[in-house]
Amino acid sequence: MIDPQIREIVNAVECVLLVSGEPVRLEQLADAVQAPTEAVAAALDVLHQEYAGRGLEIQTVAGGYQLGTRPTYAEAVRRYLGAAAREPLSQAALETLAIVAYRQPITRPEIEALRGVRSEHILERLEERRLIRVVGRKETVGRPMLYATTESFLRYFGLRDLADLPPLEAFAHLAATPDAGASPSAEALPSETGSPGDP
Amino acid sequence: MTETRAEPFVVHTATFEGPLDQLLRLAQQGQVDLKVLPLAEIAAAYVAHARRAFDVEEATEHLWMLAALVELKARALLPQAPPVEETPAEPPGDLESLLEERLAQYRAFKDVTTALRALEAYQQRVFLHPAEEPEEPLLSGVALPDLFRAFQEVLARGRERGVEVPREGISVAERMTAVLALLVAAPEGVPFDALFPAGATRLEIVVTFLALLELIRLVRVRVRQEERFGAIRVFALAARGRGGGESG
Repeated sequence: MIDPQIREIVNAVECVLLVSGEPVRLEQLADAVQAPTEAVAAALDVLHQEYAGRGLEIQTVAGGYQLGTRPTYAEAVRRYLGAAAREPLSQAALETLAIVAYRQPITRPEIEALRGVRSEHILERLEERRLIRVVGRKETVGRPMLYATTESFLRYFGLRDLADLPPLEAFAHLAATPDAGASPSAEALPSETGSPGDP
Repeated sequence: MTETRAEPFVVHTATFEGPLDQLLRLAQQGQVDLKVLPLAEIAAAYVAHARRAFDVEEATEHLWMLAALVELKARALLPQAPPVEETPAEPPGDLESLLEERLAQYRAFKDVTTALRALEAYQQRVFLHPAEEPEEPLLSGVALPDLFRAFQEVLARGRERGVEVPREGISVAERMTAVLALLVAAPEGVPFDALFPAGATRLEIVVTFLALLELIRLVRVRVRQEERFGAIRVFALAARGRGGGESG
């Protein structure tokens, strides 16, 4: 049985998470429900378990906790909202974003050196979507801007923090295996159409 | 508006024949000799095409691609500055291994996207309380073609005035400041055409419209139209109130 005092905290925390609609940090929760952080953490554990078989779930995202719908029921929610499925990022955008995420802060020339294609437009779009932002300038020739990921980036992928990113090393050794077949040719920028018609 | 999709724009030049995006791609890959590519002719052909069948979306795309070509050509024409940054302190013999290493790194990034893709797919099916996207719609009830039509009306009025004597240079940044000042002073919003100074030249009108689009993009203003073909009003937005939570 749950301690009635904890029960109260659990319920209050649940309410705050419901109305927030964005990740709430532990301290913010503690402040809202006027309880010590340890008690709130315990309450979150309880909530987590209690939501196990329910339509909602508690996620740890961007350094906070959020109450969201379970992906299994996305269609029902979409039908109700009349919302179309969200557009995933293009492959080129995702690749560029991955480079920024794992190598931040990084400049455009550095990104382009890795990708082998101009990436200005993609970076602009990622910035517009607030997945990356300029965090400063590198003190080299031309003082190029340095890009880093944002909090929205963490939310977009449901990550707790940057350490929560899938470990790149797991893919690095995979990539190191000789793989003559895979061509290194980089994809074209935004649009992808027919083959180069020889002029 | 978009019914006239039928006839796509095709570039006809001595060295290239095909859609514009293909030309751009080839140019980006260095497979087109930009120095001899007649961009002015292509641009003129596109303008003629747009006069016959105009579609805002398509025009936006094509303008962007034409601009990208102009930039590429400009770069091609400029004398090449000596490569300053190129491979900082790498011993020259190691070029091959350097490239190989880059390639391996690039593949790792490419492969890790499969994991990120899965996270994205999961998270895109999660909904949070206020139906997410807490931001107010920036263009409520306004379809892009309507906004564009309103702009054309203002532009047509500017055109009637005949001869233009350009005043001192105006910039988008300047007009952004002016438009914003106008909007901040009027919390109840400003009608679209009131954004353009009386007696404005076509250049001023165009630059002001660009300023407005930029302000919309930067989420500094909101545009609203109560009914189809009704008056369009523009409002200032509080400088990034709630949501976003960008600082991290």
